[in-house]
Amino acid sequence: MTEAMRGEAQSLVTRANIRQGNPASAGRASAASEGPAVIDVRDLEVAYYVYGAEPTRALRNVSVRLRPGEILGLVGESGAGKTTLARAIMRVVPRPGRIERGEIFFMGTDLGAMSEAELSKLRGRDLAMIVANPRGELNPLLRIGPQIATIAEVHLGVSRKRGLEMALDMLRAVAIPDPERRLRAYPHELSGGMAQRIVIAMALICGPRFVISDDATSGLDVTVQAQVLDLLRKLVREQNTSMLYITRDIGVAANFCDRVDIIYKGEIVEDAPTEAFFSGPAHPYSNFLFAAFSHNAELRRRWMGSAPSPESDAAEALCLYADRCVKRQVRCLAEHPALRELAAGRLARCHFPVER
Amino acid sequence: MAPVLEVSGLVKHFPVEGSHAVVQAVNGVSFTIAAGETVALVGESGSGKTTIGRCVLGLVPPTAGSIRFRGRDMGRRWNVRSPALRGKMQLVFQEPGESLDPRMPIGRSIAEPLRLGSLDRAARERRVQEVVQRVNLPLDILDQYPTELSAGQQQRVAIARAIVTDPELLVLDEPTSALDPTARAEIIELLMRIQRELGTAYLFISHDLSTVHQVSHRIIVLYLGRVLEEGASRAVFRTPRHPYSVGLLSAVLLPSPGLRRETTFVLEGEIPSPINMPPGCPLATRCPFRIDRCSTAFPDAERIGPQHVVHCFRHEEVAAREHATDTFEEFQRIAQRILAARGDRPESELAGIPALPPHRQADRVEDDTER
Amino acid sequence: MAVVRYIAGRLAFLVPQIIGIVLVSFLLIKAVPGDPATLMLGPMATPQTIAELRAQLGLDKPLPVQFLIYVDKLAHGNLGTSWQTTKPVLDDLRVRFPATLELVTYGMLLALAIGIPLGVASALGKRGPLAKLGGFYGLVAGALPDFWLALILIYIFYSLLGWVASPIGRIDVTVTTPHMITGFYTIDSLLTGNWAAFRSSVHHLILPVLTLGLVNAGPILKMTQATMERTLEADFSLYGRLCGLPEKLVIRRAFRNALPSVITIVSVLYGFLIGGAVLIEIVFSWGGAGQYAVQGVLNSDFNPVLGFVIFSALFSLVVYLIVDLIYLAIDPRIRR
Repeated sequence: MTEAMRGEAQSLVTRANIRQGNPASAGRASAASEGPAVIDVRDLEVAYYVYGAEPTRALRNVSVRLRPGEILGLVGESGAGKTTLARAIMRVVPRPGRIERGEIFFMGTDLGAMSEAELSKLRGRDLAMIVANPRGELNPLLRIGPQIATIAEVHLGVSRKRGLEMALDMLRAVAIPDPERRLRAYPHELSGGMAQRIVIAMALICGPRFVISDDATSGLDVTVQAQVLDLLRKLVREQNTSMLYITRDIGVAANFCDRVDIIYKGEIVEDAPTEAFFSGPAHPYSNFLFAAFSHNAELRRRWMGSAPSPESDAAEALCLYADRCVKRQVRCLAEHPALRELAAGRLARCHFPVER
Repeated sequence: MAPVLEVSGLVKHFPVEGSHAVVQAVNGVSFTIAAGETVALVGESGSGKTTIGRCVLGLVPPTAGSIRFRGRDMGRRWNVRSPALRGKMQLVFQEPGESLDPRMPIGRSIAEPLRLGSLDRAARERRVQEVVQRVNLPLDILDQYPTELSAGQQQRVAIARAIVTDPELLVLDEPTSALDPTARAEIIELLMRIQRELGTAYLFISHDLSTVHQVSHRIIVLYLGRVLEEGASRAVFRTPRHPYSVGLLSAVLLPSPGLRRETTFVLEGEIPSPINMPPGCPLATRCPFRIDRCSTAFPDAERIGPQHVVHCFRHEEVAAREHATDTFEEFQRIAQRILAARGDRPESELAGIPALPPHRQADRVEDDTER
Repeated sequence: MAVVRYIAGRLAFLVPQIIGIVLVSFLLIKAVPGDPATLMLGPMATPQTIAELRAQLGLDKPLPVQFLIYVDKLAHGNLGTSWQTTKPVLDDLRVRFPATLELVTYGMLLALAIGIPLGVASALGKRGPLAKLGGFYGLVAGALPDFWLALILIYIFYSLLGWVASPIGRIDVTVTTPHMITGFYTIDSLLTGNWAAFRSSVHHLILPVLTLGLVNAGPILKMTQATMERTLEADFSLYGRLCGLPEKLVIRRAFRNALPSVITIVSVLYGFLIGGAVLIEIVFSWGGAGQYAVQGVLNSDFNPVLGFVIFSALFSLVVYLIVDLIYLAIDPRIRR
């Protein structure tokens, strides 16, 4: 990816905001994320409306900020709201979901105030997404080259010829062997690792400022995953792109991300720099999750409360983790904890965080 | 004592439709499993581990080689469902939701393997209740349907169904890969407890090396349908001698920043296609230790420890370059240090911990290790 | 090259398929009670004359022999004669089969023109009024008997409004039929510059084509809608949107992925309608192949029935071959 292409890639909106700085969110900068935010999600609430039932709150009061070049790991189990957050940031919340409240700023611009047409100009150019199941993401009937090139054609207004040249450059950048031939390949002719690299190429061709990876490397074999992660980090660092890396695997988070957010039942329960988090998680749930990776039954039992309740949580006053928490106290049932700062850059949503 | 399972010279080739090519999924694999032992087949996709599992189960006929179960040749006529096996071999697959009939209540699903046996209805019901309790599920689950359960619970049901005939061998094909980390940990602990209590042998097929490290006594490292290295789990994890084993172990990302097996080389590229493979070592295309011989002959087994066997011409050089270190154990020590402290307040302050309101009390899943 | 070999292989397979179909139809027809000799000679015939005629027609021979005789004649392009029309079946079908084909082809084209846009539109606006219209249409089209709709249309557009030609035949009796080239009156009249015949045949086609189109648009609509909904929700469509591709492009790509299913239902309908349009043929006195075959069945006139079966089997097999070739062109996954 060349400098010139980056220039082509940058939208007017984006450029204007870089010049002005980011006054809208300047006052709210927490210690965890000084500096202008590329993505600033504030108090985001998303609910799913299923006919004949109480709406399910998929995201509660989620605030997430990413500085330029930062890789933030969003870690949680299935159903915690990881994908919903990714989709909400891209402004494509799957039906029957609805954004109830909150704002999402990209380079200081409120995405909620943009029209669908303006949004689709941003998507794929400034905001990109890499998804799991890479073979499903590719249109099975079209060759790889045109599929990648179309994105550059649509967003950067380049010709098909130039688009294919750029696609070829991208295939080289994501270390695909024999790139000229791969341009003419169909998706079914690629291995999973190869298809994942193609999707990365599609996401990065316009030189986005922000990339979301939704569980994108979990399906890959370990040696391939290691290669793809190295490649992703290199590309992201070169372009100073920010990245939200969604995963269930805290092993990947520990080795790939700058900062870690733990999400539980649609709430961010802990936010910490990677080193700090992995030298001792603060929230009891984070510890429980960490213990699941320890492969030590005794340690796990130390952090295991009872099973989660299957029903949705109407009682606002409770801590959402109270029913499973080994450190539960009276206050946890009476007062919903706020995400508060424990030390510089470390936040936890717990009345009684683990101190070490 | 004769091993529970004896696989020798197993070969499985699949024809490629519409051509004369064959997929060489398994190319001469031999191993044994003793009673109460866990042997793990590890390797990446395309390594042939799942095909081996299916051959052992008799679900696909081997192209060559033999599979002896409890001292008897399985031949080609038997499979895991044959009445002659009397349920002594059972299986658990990756996707619990798919292996359970969505229209069948859990109780009937679990009782299914018993239909081959001689138990009467009452005895069958007793047996089902027994295994349900053994896998720590509440009895009222028997009348529920698979979709009402979480993935972790579904996998417990699948395990209950597998052990209901009191098998001597369980073939576990990626039993935890589809689960969330916390559910995965529970299932692994459950499987280990069942083995302790019942002495069941496991053929554990997985690509998740952390899990394999925890559960298996011996491991077999596979690549393109060939055994590259096998040995006691501790030995292989601590002192891997095949370049591929080293590459595999050093690619694992453990939940501690920077904790990764140090190595002097990396494996480039991806696993090649298993169609019409050239002779020689299957890793030859990716291996930094490659010499001319590697592309003409597959190295014989070399015994380098009591149970430790490697197929590599240059394993001594690998040994000379690699440190003996088990990063998984190292991580466990780190985790122990971190998680030992819970930061609880003194006992006196905890007196007032309230019970949860009744509607929020979930069906408690008991801890598996305590039983 | 591979494609040519593929086609050659398929064509070679055609002959055994046809023989199999003929055998089954032959046995089925013989199983139907009814003796052509009795019917041909009428109620006054003596048993002796009937027996003579039976011998003459070869009906006294054992079934396998009868079948072999039929196949032998078939191999020489002889489909036998119809005792009703007293003409060779091949000559009859040469006129009648194109008549049906013309009707059905235009009907299918109309059905496509209605079904696909409505199907796509209702897949797009899942909850919108168009989707409701699509759903309603699918239901109505599925429930309406085609001959009943035909009668309603005749009543309105011919009897009440008088906008179209009388529902009898393919062309006005006063107009000379165009010289036969393809057997499609519309095409032949254009080719020969016979404008009166063109106008008249179009007028006669309007109502039956409208009926067939309206009724058969239902399944096409349903299939288009269901498949489009699936491909629009598919991961690649979602990912296209996430990459900021214009919605039009996303829809176009989704449609291309939906196309194979739509083509399948079209080919099935097309093959089916050759015989399935018989009620429409009867209502409009079309004189098509379906009508011809039904007359044959009712009067134990076997040769027209078998001839019809062979013609429509050939037609269906050719349609399926074309469909497979289209798949081959659309979907790279089945190419090898």
